[in-house]
Amino acid sequence: MTVIVERDLQITLPAGVTARRFDDGILHGLSHCMKAVDFIVDLPDRVVFIEFKDPQDASAPEQRGRDYLAKFSSGAIDEQLKTKFRDTFLYEWASGRVNQPIDYWVLIGADMLSPAELLTRTEALKRHVPAQGPLGRPWKNKLVRHCAVMNLASWNRQLPQFPAKRLSA
Amino acid sequence: MRSITRIQLENFTSFAKLDVEFSPGVNVFIGANGTGKTHLLKVLYAACAVTTGEDKSKGFAQKIRNVFNPYEGRIGRLARRVSGSVTTRITVHRQGGAKLSAKFSNHSNRPEDVVVTGAIGWVKEALESAYIPVKEMLAHAPGFLATASRREIAFEEVYVDIIKHALLPKLLGPTDVGRKRLLMALEQVIEGKVIAKQEHFFLKNRQGDLEFTLLAEGIRKLALIWLLIQNGTLLAGSVLFWDEPEANLNPTLMGRVVEVILELQRMGIQVFLSTHNYVLLKEFDLRHTPQDKLRYVSLFRSDKDAVSAHTTDDYISIEPNAIASTFEGLYDRELSRGFAGLPK
Repeated sequence: MTVIVERDLQITLPAGVTARRFDDGILHGLSHCMKAVDFIVDLPDRVVFIEFKDPQDASAPEQRGRDYLAKFSSGAIDEQLKTKFRDTFLYEWASGRVNQPIDYWVLIGADMLSPAELLTRTEALKRHVPAQGPLGRPWKNKLVRHCAVMNLASWNRQLPQFPAKRLSA
Repeated sequence: MRSITRIQLENFTSFAKLDVEFSPGVNVFIGANGTGKTHLLKVLYAACAVTTGEDKSKGFAQKIRNVFNPYEGRIGRLARRVSGSVTTRITVHRQGGAKLSAKFSNHSNRPEDVVVTGAIGWVKEALESAYIPVKEMLAHAPGFLATASRREIAFEEVYVDIIKHALLPKLLGPTDVGRKRLLMALEQVIEGKVIAKQEHFFLKNRQGDLEFTLLAEGIRKLALIWLLIQNGTLLAGSVLFWDEPEANLNPTLMGRVVEVILELQRMGIQVFLSTHNYVLLKEFDLRHTPQDKLRYVSLFRSDKDAVSAHTTDDYISIEPNAIASTFEGLYDRELSRGFAGLPK
Protein backbone atom coordinates (compact mmCIF):
# COMPACT_ATOMS: atom_id res chain seq x y z
CA MET A 1 0.00 0.00 0.00
CA THR A 2 1.38 3.42 -0.97
CA VAL A 3 0.75 6.58 0.98
CA ILE A 4 1.41 10.06 -0.27
CA VAL A 5 1.93 12.77 2.33
CA GLU A 6 2.13 16.53 2.08
CA ARG A 7 2.84 18.06 5.48
CA ASP A 8 -0.24 17.19 7.59
CA LEU A 9 -2.39 15.59 4.87
CA GLN A 10 -2.12 11.98 3.76
CA ILE A 11 -3.78 9.92 1.03
CA THR A 12 -3.60 6.14 0.99
CA LEU A 13 -3.60 4.65 -2.52
CA PRO A 14 -5.11 1.27 -3.43
CA ALA A 15 -2.75 -1.73 -3.57
CA GLY A 16 -0.60 -1.85 -6.70
CA VAL A 17 -0.99 1.83 -7.53
CA THR A 18 2.24 3.78 -7.95
CA ALA A 19 2.83 7.44 -7.32
CA ARG A 20 5.74 9.82 -7.58
CA ARG A 21 6.37 13.10 -5.85
CA PHE A 22 6.67 15.76 -8.49
CA ASP A 23 6.80 19.17 -6.82
CA ASP A 24 10.40 18.89 -5.86
CA GLY A 25 12.89 21.14 -7.65
CA ILE A 26 15.62 18.55 -7.37
CA LEU A 27 13.47 15.83 -8.92
CA HIS A 28 12.16 17.77 -11.89
CA GLY A 29 15.12 20.15 -12.06
CA LEU A 30 13.19 23.05 -13.59
CA SER A 31 12.05 25.02 -10.56
CA HIS A 32 13.53 28.20 -12.09
CA CYS A 33 10.91 28.17 -14.86
CA MET A 34 7.97 26.00 -13.85
CA LYS A 35 5.38 25.32 -11.20
CA ALA A 36 4.42 21.75 -10.42
CA VAL A 37 1.65 19.68 -8.87
CA ASP A 38 2.61 17.76 -5.72
CA PHE A 39 2.14 14.16 -6.95
CA ILE A 40 1.54 12.18 -10.11
CA VAL A 41 -0.35 8.93 -9.65
CA ASP A 42 -0.50 6.21 -12.31
CA LEU A 43 -3.76 4.27 -12.50
CA PRO A 44 -4.62 1.55 -15.02
CA ASP A 45 -6.87 3.80 -17.11
CA ARG A 46 -5.61 7.32 -16.29
CA VAL A 47 -2.94 9.49 -14.75
CA VAL A 48 -3.94 11.70 -11.83
CA PHE A 49 -2.22 14.95 -10.94
CA ILE A 50 -2.74 15.59 -7.24
CA GLU A 51 -2.29 18.96 -5.56
CA PHE A 52 -2.54 19.51 -1.81
CA LYS A 53 -3.54 22.80 -0.21
CA ASP A 54 -3.80 23.06 3.53
CA PRO A 55 -5.08 26.34 4.97
CA GLN A 56 -5.86 24.53 8.24
CA ASP A 57 -2.33 23.22 8.75
CA ALA A 58 -1.81 23.79 12.48
CA SER A 59 1.96 24.20 12.08
CA ALA A 60 1.59 27.07 9.60
CA PRO A 61 0.97 30.67 10.71
CA GLU A 62 -2.75 31.35 11.17
CA GLN A 63 -2.62 34.36 8.88
CA ARG A 64 -1.39 32.20 6.00
CA GLY A 65 -4.46 29.99 6.33
CA ARG A 66 -6.78 33.00 6.33
CA ASP A 67 -5.03 34.48 3.30
CA TYR A 68 -5.34 31.20 1.50
CA LEU A 69 -9.06 30.92 2.19
CA ALA A 70 -9.56 34.46 0.93
CA LYS A 71 -7.69 33.50 -2.25
CA PHE A 72 -9.88 30.45 -2.57
CA SER A 73 -13.17 32.33 -2.16
CA SER A 74 -12.19 35.12 -4.53
CA GLY A 75 -11.05 32.69 -7.22
CA ALA A 76 -7.43 33.90 -7.14
CA ILE A 77 -6.43 30.31 -6.42
CA ASP A 78 -7.64 29.20 -9.89
CA GLU A 79 -4.68 30.89 -11.55
CA GLN A 80 -2.18 29.07 -9.35
CA LEU A 81 -3.85 25.68 -9.82
CA LYS A 82 -4.06 26.21 -13.56
CA THR A 83 -0.36 27.06 -13.88
CA LYS A 84 0.69 24.06 -11.83
CA PHE A 85 -1.40 21.80 -14.04
CA ARG A 86 -0.22 23.24 -17.35
CA ASP A 87 3.47 23.26 -16.44
CA THR A 88 3.27 19.69 -15.18
CA PHE A 89 1.38 18.64 -18.29
CA LEU A 90 4.00 20.21 -20.57
CA TYR A 91 6.81 18.55 -18.62
CA GLU A 92 5.14 15.15 -18.85
CA TRP A 93 4.28 15.63 -22.54
CA ALA A 94 7.82 16.69 -23.42
CA SER A 95 9.08 13.69 -21.49
CA GLY A 96 6.92 11.42 -23.67
CA ARG A 97 4.77 10.25 -20.82
CA VAL A 98 1.30 11.52 -21.76
CA ASN A 99 -0.21 8.30 -23.00
CA GLN A 100 -3.40 8.23 -20.95
CA PRO A 101 -6.18 10.66 -20.02
CA ILE A 102 -5.24 13.00 -17.18
CA ASP A 103 -7.42 13.84 -14.17
CA TYR A 104 -6.62 16.69 -11.79
CA TRP A 105 -7.59 16.30 -8.15
CA VAL A 106 -7.06 19.08 -5.62
CA LEU A 107 -7.34 18.27 -1.91
CA ILE A 108 -8.01 21.33 0.25
CA GLY A 109 -7.63 20.94 4.00
CA ALA A 110 -10.49 23.30 4.90
CA ASP A 111 -13.59 21.85 6.61
CA MET A 112 -15.60 25.03 6.35
CA LEU A 113 -15.81 25.13 2.56
CA SER A 114 -19.36 24.43 1.39
CA PRO A 115 -20.32 22.22 -1.58
CA ALA A 116 -21.36 25.39 -3.41
CA GLU A 117 -17.89 26.89 -3.01
CA LEU A 118 -16.14 23.65 -3.96
CA LEU A 119 -18.40 23.23 -6.98
CA THR A 120 -17.65 26.79 -8.06
CA ARG A 121 -13.89 26.19 -7.86
CA THR A 122 -14.17 22.84 -9.64
CA GLU A 123 -15.99 24.46 -12.55
CA ALA A 124 -13.61 27.43 -12.57
CA LEU A 125 -10.61 25.11 -12.75
CA LYS A 126 -12.11 23.36 -15.77
CA ARG A 127 -12.57 26.74 -17.47
CA HIS A 128 -9.06 27.92 -16.64
CA VAL A 129 -7.06 24.82 -17.65
CA PRO A 130 -9.10 24.84 -20.06
CA ALA A 131 -10.77 21.45 -20.34
CA GLN A 132 -12.53 22.44 -23.59
CA GLY A 133 -11.04 24.10 -26.65
CA PRO A 134 -12.18 27.22 -28.56
CA LEU A 135 -15.96 27.80 -28.72
CA GLY A 136 -16.40 25.19 -26.01
CA ARG A 137 -15.56 22.37 -28.40
CA PRO A 138 -13.45 19.38 -27.34
CA TRP A 139 -9.69 19.48 -27.94
CA LYS A 140 -8.37 16.96 -30.45
CA ASN A 141 -6.00 15.83 -27.69
CA LYS A 142 -7.54 16.38 -24.29
CA LEU A 143 -5.60 18.54 -21.83
CA VAL A 144 -7.56 17.28 -18.85
CA ARG A 145 -10.35 14.76 -18.67
CA HIS A 146 -11.75 15.64 -15.25
CA CYS A 147 -11.09 18.19 -12.50
CA ALA A 148 -12.20 17.93 -8.88
CA VAL A 149 -11.61 20.33 -6.01
CA MET A 150 -12.41 18.59 -2.73
CA ASN A 151 -11.98 18.99 0.99
CA LEU A 152 -11.40 15.96 3.23
CA ALA A 153 -15.13 15.30 3.66
CA SER A 154 -16.00 15.35 -0.03
CA TRP A 155 -12.81 13.47 -0.96
CA ASN A 156 -13.61 10.58 1.39
CA ARG A 157 -17.26 10.57 0.32
CA GLN A 158 -16.36 10.33 -3.36
CA LEU A 159 -13.10 8.37 -3.20
CA PRO A 160 -13.38 5.89 -0.32
CA GLN A 161 -10.78 3.67 -2.01
CA PHE A 162 -8.25 6.55 -1.71
CA PRO A 163 -8.83 7.51 1.96
CA ALA A 164 -7.49 10.91 2.94
CA LYS A 165 -6.84 12.13 6.46
CA ARG A 166 -5.18 14.76 8.56
CA LEU A 167 -2.22 13.20 10.35
CA SER A 168 -2.49 15.38 13.45
CA ALA A 169 -6.20 14.64 13.92
CA MET B 1 -40.09 49.34 20.08
CA ARG B 2 -42.27 46.29 20.58
CA SER B 3 -41.05 43.76 18.07
CA ILE B 4 -42.59 40.34 17.42
CA THR B 5 -40.92 37.82 19.70
CA ARG B 6 -42.66 34.52 19.11
CA ILE B 7 -45.34 32.62 17.24
CA GLN B 8 -47.23 29.52 18.31
CA LEU B 9 -49.34 27.64 15.80
CA GLU B 10 -51.53 24.61 16.27
CA ASN B 11 -53.22 22.89 13.35
CA PHE B 12 -52.78 25.88 11.08
CA THR B 13 -52.37 25.12 7.35
CA SER B 14 -49.37 22.75 7.16
CA PHE B 15 -48.33 23.19 10.80
CA ALA B 16 -49.46 20.65 13.42
CA LYS B 17 -47.61 22.37 16.26
CA LEU B 18 -45.06 25.09 15.89
CA ASP B 19 -43.38 27.32 18.44
CA VAL B 20 -40.70 29.68 17.14
CA GLU B 21 -38.95 32.56 18.87
CA PHE B 22 -37.76 35.43 16.70
CA SER B 23 -34.88 37.84 16.60
CA PRO B 24 -35.66 41.57 16.88
CA GLY B 25 -33.41 41.89 13.79
CA VAL B 26 -33.58 39.79 10.62
CA ASN B 27 -35.45 36.48 10.54
CA VAL B 28 -34.86 34.31 7.48
CA PHE B 29 -37.29 31.48 6.69
CA ILE B 30 -35.90 28.71 4.54
CA GLY B 31 -37.41 25.41 3.49
CA ALA B 32 -38.62 23.47 0.48
CA ASN B 33 -41.81 24.44 -1.38
CA GLY B 34 -44.90 23.74 0.68
CA THR B 35 -43.29 24.11 4.10
CA GLY B 36 -45.33 27.22 4.97
CA LYS B 37 -42.79 30.02 4.73
CA THR B 38 -45.27 32.43 3.15
CA HIS B 39 -48.00 31.31 5.57
CA LEU B 40 -45.83 32.34 8.48
CA LEU B 41 -45.06 35.70 6.90
CA LYS B 42 -48.75 36.35 6.25
CA VAL B 43 -50.04 35.45 9.67
CA LEU B 44 -47.37 37.58 11.35
CA TYR B 45 -48.15 40.42 8.98
CA ALA B 46 -51.88 40.17 9.79
CA ALA B 47 -51.01 40.53 13.48
CA CYS B 48 -48.97 43.69 12.78
CA ALA B 49 -51.46 45.16 10.31
CA VAL B 50 -54.37 45.19 12.77
CA THR B 51 -52.52 47.63 15.02
CA THR B 52 -52.70 50.47 12.48
CA GLY B 53 -55.01 52.33 10.10
CA GLU B 54 -58.16 50.87 8.64
CA ASP B 55 -57.10 47.31 9.46
CA LYS B 56 -57.60 48.16 13.14
CA SER B 57 -61.35 47.99 12.63
CA LYS B 58 -61.12 44.74 10.66
CA GLY B 59 -59.59 42.79 13.50
CA PHE B 60 -57.23 39.83 13.44
CA ALA B 61 -59.65 37.19 12.14
CA GLN B 62 -60.80 39.20 9.15
CA LYS B 63 -57.26 40.29 8.32
CA ILE B 64 -56.06 36.69 8.38
CA ARG B 65 -58.88 35.71 6.05
CA ASN B 66 -58.16 38.60 3.70
CA VAL B 67 -54.42 38.03 3.38
CA PHE B 68 -54.91 34.30 2.76
CA ASN B 69 -58.02 34.65 0.63
CA PRO B 70 -59.33 31.08 1.13
CA TYR B 71 -62.05 29.66 -1.13
CA GLU B 72 -65.41 31.35 -0.49
CA GLY B 73 -63.73 33.34 2.26
CA ARG B 74 -64.15 30.41 4.64
CA ILE B 75 -61.56 30.82 7.35
CA GLY B 76 -61.98 27.18 8.44
CA ARG B 77 -60.16 26.20 5.26
CA LEU B 78 -56.98 27.50 6.91
CA ALA B 79 -57.20 24.73 9.51
CA ARG B 80 -54.79 21.86 9.03
CA ARG B 81 -56.34 19.25 6.74
CA VAL B 82 -56.81 16.08 8.79
CA SER B 83 -59.69 13.64 9.04
CA GLY B 84 -62.35 14.78 11.49
CA SER B 85 -62.73 18.03 13.39
CA VAL B 86 -59.70 20.06 14.27
CA THR B 87 -59.11 23.14 16.41
CA THR B 88 -56.69 25.76 15.14
CA ARG B 89 -54.83 28.13 17.45
CA ILE B 90 -52.62 31.03 16.49
CA THR B 91 -50.75 33.08 19.07
CA VAL B 92 -48.35 35.90 18.29
CA HIS B 93 -46.24 37.48 21.04
CA ARG B 94 -44.68 40.93 21.27
CA GLN B 95 -41.90 42.34 23.35
CA GLY B 96 -43.41 43.56 26.59
CA GLY B 97 -45.71 40.58 26.99
CA ALA B 98 -48.68 41.48 24.77
CA LYS B 99 -50.07 38.54 22.84
CA LEU B 100 -52.78 38.11 20.27
CA SER B 101 -54.57 34.81 19.79
CA ALA B 102 -57.12 33.39 17.40
CA LYS B 103 -58.96 30.11 17.76
CA PHE B 104 -61.23 28.49 15.19
CA SER B 105 -62.12 25.12 13.75
CA ASN B 106 -62.22 23.64 10.30
CA HIS B 107 -66.00 24.24 10.44
CA SER B 108 -65.67 27.98 11.04
CA ASN B 109 -66.94 29.90 8.05
CA ARG B 110 -66.88 33.58 8.95
CA PRO B 111 -64.32 35.72 10.78
CA GLU B 112 -67.01 36.27 13.44
CA ASP B 113 -66.78 32.56 14.25
CA VAL B 114 -63.16 33.03 15.32
CA VAL B 115 -62.41 33.58 19.00
CA VAL B 116 -59.83 36.34 19.21
CA THR B 117 -58.22 37.16 22.55
CA GLY B 118 -55.75 39.81 23.63
CA ALA B 119 -56.76 42.28 20.91
CA ILE B 120 -57.27 45.27 23.23
CA GLY B 121 -53.78 45.11 24.72
CA TRP B 122 -52.28 44.19 21.36
CA VAL B 123 -53.45 47.25 19.45
CA LYS B 124 -52.54 49.72 22.21
CA GLU B 125 -49.20 50.30 20.54
CA ALA B 126 -49.06 50.58 16.75
CA LEU B 127 -46.69 48.28 14.90
CA GLU B 128 -46.23 49.77 11.45
CA SER B 129 -45.50 47.11 8.85
CA ALA B 130 -45.26 46.37 5.14
CA TYR B 131 -45.51 43.09 3.26
CA ILE B 132 -43.72 42.74 -0.08
CA PRO B 133 -45.19 39.80 -1.99
CA VAL B 134 -43.26 37.70 -4.48
CA LYS B 135 -45.08 39.28 -7.42
CA GLU B 136 -44.19 42.88 -8.08
CA MET B 137 -47.35 45.03 -7.96
CA LEU B 138 -46.45 48.67 -8.52
CA ALA B 139 -46.54 48.33 -12.29
CA HIS B 140 -50.12 47.06 -11.97
CA ALA B 141 -51.21 49.73 -9.51
CA PRO B 142 -53.30 51.94 -11.83
CA GLY B 143 -56.94 51.07 -11.17
CA PHE B 144 -56.06 48.09 -9.03
CA LEU B 145 -57.19 49.58 -5.73
CA ALA B 146 -60.55 50.69 -7.11
CA THR B 147 -61.15 47.32 -8.73
CA ALA B 148 -60.16 45.47 -5.58
CA SER B 149 -62.40 47.64 -3.40
CA ARG B 150 -65.38 46.81 -5.63
CA ARG B 151 -64.47 43.15 -5.02
CA GLU B 152 -64.29 42.60 -8.76
CA ILE B 153 -61.12 40.62 -8.27
CA ALA B 154 -60.32 38.23 -5.47
CA PHE B 155 -56.74 39.11 -4.65
CA GLU B 156 -54.91 38.34 -1.47
CA GLU B 157 -55.01 41.56 0.49
CA VAL B 158 -51.21 41.77 0.71
CA TYR B 159 -51.25 43.01 -2.89
CA VAL B 160 -53.70 45.80 -2.12
CA ASP B 161 -51.84 46.75 1.04
CA ILE B 162 -48.45 47.11 -0.60
CA ILE B 163 -49.82 49.44 -3.26
CA LYS B 164 -51.46 51.55 -0.56
CA HIS B 165 -48.17 51.71 1.32
CA ALA B 166 -46.28 52.67 -1.81
CA LEU B 167 -48.73 55.49 -2.53
CA LEU B 168 -48.28 57.16 0.86
CA PRO B 169 -46.84 60.67 0.55
CA LYS B 170 -43.24 61.47 1.41
CA LEU B 171 -42.63 61.68 5.14
CA LEU B 172 -42.49 65.30 6.26
CA GLY B 173 -39.55 66.72 8.15
CA PRO B 174 -35.82 66.19 7.83
CA THR B 175 -34.56 62.77 6.75
CA ASP B 176 -32.22 61.26 9.32
CA VAL B 177 -28.70 60.18 8.38
CA GLY B 178 -29.40 56.44 8.26
CA ARG B 179 -32.42 56.79 5.97
CA LYS B 180 -30.61 59.29 3.76
CA ARG B 181 -27.68 56.90 3.33
CA LEU B 182 -29.97 54.03 2.44
CA LEU B 183 -32.00 56.09 0.00
CA MET B 184 -28.84 57.21 -1.76
CA ALA B 185 -27.49 53.66 -1.92
CA LEU B 186 -30.73 52.49 -3.51
CA GLU B 187 -30.77 55.41 -5.94
CA GLN B 188 -27.38 54.27 -7.21
CA VAL B 189 -28.74 50.80 -7.94
CA ILE B 190 -32.04 51.85 -9.50
CA GLU B 191 -30.40 54.87 -11.16
CA GLY B 192 -33.00 57.41 -10.14
CA LYS B 193 -35.80 58.27 -7.73
CA VAL B 194 -39.39 57.12 -7.73
CA ILE B 195 -42.37 59.37 -8.22
CA ALA B 196 -46.10 58.63 -8.38
CA LYS B 197 -48.64 60.43 -10.57
CA GLN B 198 -52.14 59.36 -9.57
CA GLU B 199 -51.58 55.63 -9.31
CA HIS B 200 -48.81 55.46 -11.90
CA PHE B 201 -45.24 54.98 -10.70
CA PHE B 202 -42.22 56.32 -12.59
CA LEU B 203 -38.48 56.16 -12.20
CA LYS B 204 -37.23 59.69 -12.49
CA ASN B 205 -33.69 60.26 -13.71
CA ARG B 206 -31.75 62.36 -16.21
CA GLN B 207 -33.51 60.62 -19.09
CA GLY B 208 -36.92 61.70 -17.81
CA ASP B 209 -39.76 59.73 -16.24
CA LEU B 210 -39.67 56.04 -17.02
CA GLU B 211 -42.88 54.13 -16.36
CA PHE B 212 -42.59 51.06 -14.17
CA THR B 213 -43.81 48.72 -16.87
CA LEU B 214 -40.57 49.46 -18.73
CA LEU B 215 -38.35 48.58 -15.78
CA ALA B 216 -36.91 45.19 -14.95
CA GLU B 217 -38.92 43.52 -12.18
CA GLY B 218 -35.90 43.29 -9.89
CA ILE B 219 -35.37 47.05 -10.14
CA ARG B 220 -39.07 47.69 -9.42
CA LYS B 221 -38.71 45.81 -6.14
CA LEU B 222 -35.75 47.90 -5.07
CA ALA B 223 -37.69 51.00 -6.10
CA LEU B 224 -40.49 49.86 -3.80
CA ILE B 225 -38.07 49.63 -0.87
CA TRP B 226 -36.91 53.15 -1.72
CA LEU B 227 -40.53 54.37 -1.55
CA LEU B 228 -41.20 52.62 1.76
CA ILE B 229 -38.14 54.26 3.32
CA GLN B 230 -38.90 57.64 1.81
CA ASN B 231 -42.53 57.70 2.94
CA GLY B 232 -41.71 56.57 6.44
CA THR B 233 -43.36 53.14 6.34
CA LEU B 234 -39.98 51.68 7.25
CA LEU B 235 -38.87 53.55 10.34
CA ALA B 236 -37.30 52.31 13.57
CA GLY B 237 -39.80 50.07 15.32
CA SER B 238 -41.61 48.94 12.18
CA VAL B 239 -41.65 45.49 10.63
CA LEU B 240 -40.84 44.48 7.05
CA PHE B 241 -42.10 41.21 5.59
CA TRP B 242 -40.44 40.27 2.29
CA ASP B 243 -41.41 37.11 0.47
CA GLU B 244 -38.48 35.89 -1.66
CA PRO B 245 -36.46 39.09 -2.15
CA GLU B 246 -34.48 37.20 -4.79
CA ALA B 247 -37.42 36.88 -7.19
CA ASN B 248 -36.49 38.38 -10.57
CA LEU B 249 -33.25 39.75 -9.19
CA ASN B 250 -29.95 39.04 -10.87
CA PRO B 251 -27.57 37.38 -8.37
CA THR B 252 -25.10 40.24 -8.86
CA LEU B 253 -27.59 42.57 -7.13
CA MET B 254 -28.18 40.19 -4.22
CA GLY B 255 -25.33 41.58 -2.14
CA ARG B 256 -26.79 45.10 -2.37
CA VAL B 257 -30.22 43.82 -1.32
CA VAL B 258 -28.75 42.02 1.67
CA GLU B 259 -26.83 45.15 2.61
CA VAL B 260 -30.10 47.14 2.48
CA ILE B 261 -31.86 44.57 4.67
CA LEU B 262 -29.01 44.54 7.19
CA GLU B 263 -28.98 48.34 7.22
CA LEU B 264 -32.75 48.44 7.85
CA GLN B 265 -32.20 46.09 10.78
CA ARG B 266 -29.44 48.36 12.11
CA MET B 267 -31.95 51.22 11.97
CA GLY B 268 -34.24 49.23 14.29
CA ILE B 269 -36.59 47.65 11.76
CA GLN B 270 -37.52 44.03 12.34
CA VAL B 271 -37.38 41.97 9.14
CA PHE B 272 -38.98 38.66 8.22
CA LEU B 273 -38.11 37.15 4.87
CA SER B 274 -38.35 33.87 3.06
CA THR B 275 -35.86 32.59 0.53
CA HIS B 276 -34.95 29.72 -1.76
CA ASN B 277 -31.72 31.34 -2.79
CA TYR B 278 -28.21 30.26 -1.89
CA VAL B 279 -26.60 33.54 -2.91
CA LEU B 280 -28.94 35.54 -0.66
CA LEU B 281 -28.26 33.24 2.31
CA LYS B 282 -24.52 33.30 1.74
CA GLU B 283 -24.50 37.07 1.38
CA PHE B 284 -26.08 37.33 4.84
CA ASP B 285 -23.41 35.01 6.17
CA LEU B 286 -20.59 37.00 4.58
CA ARG B 287 -21.88 40.53 5.14
CA HIS B 288 -23.30 40.45 8.66
CA THR B 289 -21.25 41.85 11.53
CA PRO B 290 -21.19 40.41 15.07
CA GLN B 291 -23.53 43.24 16.13
CA ASP B 292 -26.20 42.30 13.57
CA LYS B 293 -29.12 40.29 14.84
CA LEU B 294 -29.84 37.40 12.48
CA ARG B 295 -31.90 34.27 12.93
CA TYR B 296 -32.50 31.47 10.45
CA VAL B 297 -35.69 29.43 10.73
CA SER B 298 -35.47 26.17 8.80
CA LEU B 299 -38.87 24.67 8.02
CA PHE B 300 -39.13 21.02 7.11
CA ARG B 301 -41.65 18.20 6.94
CA SER B 302 -41.28 15.76 9.79
CA ASP B 303 -43.42 12.87 10.98
CA LYS B 304 -47.04 12.68 9.86
CA ASP B 305 -46.22 15.14 7.11
CA ALA B 306 -46.50 18.14 9.43
CA VAL B 307 -44.05 21.01 9.21
CA SER B 308 -41.54 21.56 12.01
CA ALA B 309 -38.87 24.22 12.50
CA HIS B 310 -35.30 24.49 13.68
CA THR B 311 -33.89 27.88 14.53
CA THR B 312 -30.27 28.97 14.64
CA ASP B 313 -28.38 32.27 14.65
CA ASP B 314 -25.47 30.81 12.69
CA TYR B 315 -25.55 30.07 8.96
CA ILE B 316 -23.44 26.91 9.13
CA SER B 317 -25.75 25.44 11.77
CA ILE B 318 -28.89 25.65 9.62
CA GLU B 319 -30.33 22.17 9.67
CA PRO B 320 -31.86 21.00 7.44
CA ASN B 321 -30.68 23.45 4.80
CA ALA B 322 -32.65 22.56 1.67
CA ILE B 323 -30.76 25.14 -0.38
CA ALA B 324 -27.24 24.01 0.55
CA SER B 325 -28.27 20.34 0.19
CA THR B 326 -29.18 21.01 -3.40
CA PHE B 327 -25.65 22.28 -4.03
CA GLU B 328 -24.23 19.25 -2.28
CA GLY B 329 -26.18 17.01 -4.67
CA LEU B 330 -24.99 18.97 -7.70
CA TYR B 331 -21.39 18.96 -6.48
CA ASP B 332 -21.39 15.22 -5.79
CA ARG B 333 -22.83 14.50 -9.22
CA GLU B 334 -20.28 16.79 -10.88
CA LEU B 335 -17.44 14.98 -9.13
CA SER B 336 -18.68 11.45 -9.55
CA ARG B 337 -19.09 11.71 -13.31
CA GLY B 338 -15.28 11.73 -13.56
CA PHE B 339 -14.64 8.96 -11.05
CA ALA B 340 -16.18 6.02 -12.90
CA GLY B 341 -13.77 3.16 -13.56
CA LEU B 342 -11.41 3.88 -10.67
CA PRO B 343 -9.82 0.84 -8.97
CA LYS B 344 -11.79 -0.44 -5.99
